Amino acid sequence: MSVPLPPGTGIENIDVEQIKTFKDFLISYNKLTELCFADCVSDFTSRNVKGKEDKCALNCLEKFLKVNQRISQRFQEFQVLANESAIAAAQKMEKGAS
Amino acid sequence: MSQKEAQNMQLIQELEIEMMADMYNRLTAACHKKCIPPVYNDAEIAKGEAVCIDRCVAKFLDIHERIGKKLGQLSMQDEALLKK
Repeated sequence: MSVPLPPGTGIENIDVEQIKTFKDFLISYNKLTELCFADCVSDFTSRNVKGKEDKCALNCLEKFLKVNQRISQRFQEFQVLANESAIAAAQKMEKGAS
Repeated sequence: MSQKEAQNMQLIQELEIEMMADMYNRLTAACHKKCIPPVYNDAEIAKGEAVCIDRCVAKFLDIHERIGKKLGQLSMQDEALLKK
């Protein structure tokens, strides 16, 4: 299995943060395989991956990445909103106290 | 602030970040499962799927908040009961 190491890594100077990023990457890689295999491969009369299965798996991968991107965008929007309202509430409290 | 306090603060912050990441992963899995049917004729997100994802994220976070509030209430009640 060839796995891309995080960019800029000589093995001697990897820090904890990079290892965590790499670990997250591997975990999502595994999850992705599990998901796309489950959704795309159900014919076990042949040991070869069929053209259809290959195309399905690659579409599955591409779509998965797009879906994740979209979810992360929406999530960030909510984070920003939540932060703003927390700050507003804190300011209100301060005003009430003084 | 004492060193012990600072250390605990950092631990709590790390835990919060970790739990946030866990929640995010669960949200991703749940909304993918609910909105993307397991047919991959196309690598694009369909219109309806996109709308579904947007609503799903909003609803998941809404439910997360509601459950958090209720959980807070319940644990407060429990504490109050224990004190009696």
